[in-house]
Amino acid sequence: MPDFPIPGYHGRVLVADLSLGEIRPVPLDPGTALSYLGGRGLATRLLCDTIDPACEPLGPDNAFVIASSPLVGSTAPTAGRGHMVFKSPLTGVIGTSNSGGTWGAAFKSAGYDALIVKGAAAEPVMIDLAPGRAEILPAGHVWGKTTHETNDVLAADAGPGRPARILCIGPAGENLVRFAAVANDRNRVYGRCGPGAVWGSKRLKAIRVRGREKIAAADPEKYKSGQEQAIYLLKQAPVTKRLMRDLGTAGLVELINLIAMLPHKNFQDCLHRDEDVDRVSGETLAKTLLEKAGSCYLCPIGCQRHTRVAGRDGGEERGEGPEYETVVLTGPLCGIYDLAAITRANYRANELGLDTMSYGGTLACAMELAERGLIGPEETNGIDLAFGSAEALETLVGLTARREGLGAALAEGAHRLAAGRGRPELAMTVKKLEIPAYDPRASFTQALGYMTSPTGACHLRGGYAVSLAFFGGAKEIPRFSLLQAPIAIRNMQNMGILQDSLGICRFTGYAFSADPWARMASGVTGRDLSVAKLEEIENRVATLERCFNLGAGATAEDDALPDRFADVPILVEGRERRVTREDQERMKRDYYAVRGWDAAGRPTPGLLRALRIEEARR
Amino acid sequence: MTIEVRFFAAFRDLFGGRSRDLAVGEGATVGDALAVLCDTAARRRELFAGAGLRAHVVVMLNGAPVGALRGLATPLAPGDTLAVFPLLGGG
Repeated sequence: MPDFPIPGYHGRVLVADLSLGEIRPVPLDPGTALSYLGGRGLATRLLCDTIDPACEPLGPDNAFVIASSPLVGSTAPTAGRGHMVFKSPLTGVIGTSNSGGTWGAAFKSAGYDALIVKGAAAEPVMIDLAPGRAEILPAGHVWGKTTHETNDVLAADAGPGRPARILCIGPAGENLVRFAAVANDRNRVYGRCGPGAVWGSKRLKAIRVRGREKIAAADPEKYKSGQEQAIYLLKQAPVTKRLMRDLGTAGLVELINLIAMLPHKNFQDCLHRDEDVDRVSGETLAKTLLEKAGSCYLCPIGCQRHTRVAGRDGGEERGEGPEYETVVLTGPLCGIYDLAAITRANYRANELGLDTMSYGGTLACAMELAERGLIGPEETNGIDLAFGSAEALETLVGLTARREGLGAALAEGAHRLAAGRGRPELAMTVKKLEIPAYDPRASFTQALGYMTSPTGACHLRGGYAVSLAFFGGAKEIPRFSLLQAPIAIRNMQNMGILQDSLGICRFTGYAFSADPWARMASGVTGRDLSVAKLEEIENRVATLERCFNLGAGATAEDDALPDRFADVPILVEGRERRVTREDQERMKRDYYAVRGWDAAGRPTPGLLRALRIEEARR
Repeated sequence: MTIEVRFFAAFRDLFGGRSRDLAVGEGATVGDALAVLCDTAARRRELFAGAGLRAHVVVMLNGAPVGALRGLATPLAPGDTLAVFPLLGGG
């Protein structure tokens, strides 16, 4: 390690200004590092120090930050995730997204803790990183290519030595599709909130990394005690030991249907025939499409699905996925139960660089608009846009990525699509982010999670209440408890912040909580990063994200579900369930109080002082 | 009385099917029904740790987790549906 006072960090942040064509390292402030840890926390702090939250997301004044952590690239299980933070062009608030695979660990081994990219290039460029070297290179030869083509060309171009790892956008990002993704290792995806469009607006096609710098722990014994405990528990817990490998995340489809939470036809209801759900279940996927399971960096869980499917026009295709969210949002949410079509559309989305979740939510919205006569046949160019149309799913994915025909309207996301036709209430979004595949009427906890997630409706940033309400064992809480939801969701959100800030996988949470991570983080850095200290960091990050959103113009009114969830009930356990506006207000008020924010959802000056937060720069 | 028991994921292999009708006595509880189902050592080992359920086993009665009801002591009624599945994750 170089001259940085904290082991686990390189002490270097790269700053690229694409308008000027310059890239240079600057020192990482040790106090900032320990206050924000890494990943999501550190990236959020650096973003707040770099941009005005009120900036235009697709303009040169926006930036994105990728940050590593003291554990990324170590031998800690799953510690290979990269995390990206930016102002989202889909939502207008903070965007945060991460990805597995190997890129995150390779970035750390190239010798940097974080990368800030601002400005915009006049011509397509890429960034090339290795220990002691950072360059901005022309990328015209890969502009227009898919994520797979770009990955393969740039990896081959890198020449001999350690394998190069590629993070890149596809045509959707180049065409500024508001939910465009960034992909690494071909099929691992920074999906949500539209990071690909931010890259496209900067004409940045790819970041190539390779390196060999290792992590040395300050207190190897302490580190090892946490690492060995973590691996032992991952190999003991049934979910992480076997079940995720057997069925992947799609194993949830039948169960979520069983608890009346599986959305249908743009969240109009949760009513499916069992035989339809069977056709898209994890078990069917495993029996008909799965070739093998796969793993990300140092992951013993192995939930990746390497699949093959019959081609639409004959032959056979191979790829990865689909995951639970993709299956449901591009499937039953659109009235589609054709697993082969869902899988092929997933392959195309990965290649074109699109978030399958927002694509599914937007397509379902388009189908409802068509059902109500608000999208006419003259706009669909002969495509059947009725609920259940696999043709629409497979055809529109390419049109959306290229902004052609009706795809140009879909490329704006569900909110703008519906608002453009005078019916914004038909977009099932929170803060303009399309809602994940769990109906919030079936769990108050999940409802509050969507409402208060800093990025808009996200089960990963907002809190994954399904595991608490149904699968939590000793942690189980009633799913309709207004009283318990605020604290439960705060705790889930904080655990997510910790996992995102350490660059580790959410699924480790099925085997253990914060303690092994605290040992590993303390062991690597040689600093006090006890569970209590980590909680302080989690609260700091949550409140800083809130400051950013307030600076971007968000208010407490944005912490609300679409009208449908308050007005139209679904049937759960024989009872009609909805989340009334009064229930939403009550949970929100209590959540703000738990966070130490005022009644309008604003962090108080006292809290900002206690957490030692300098407000997001205005 | 008769209830329906539905199995998910690996439990389909363990119990040899997707669902079955189960006859239990009047006043039977969820625990009684599971005891009838676990008629081999292997089945019992997969579902129970001592007198309680194993940590990764989730049992629902008519769509409600029994942990939120009265646990294994929850009484059954004719026509009830019991679902047995392993803890799963996703997202």
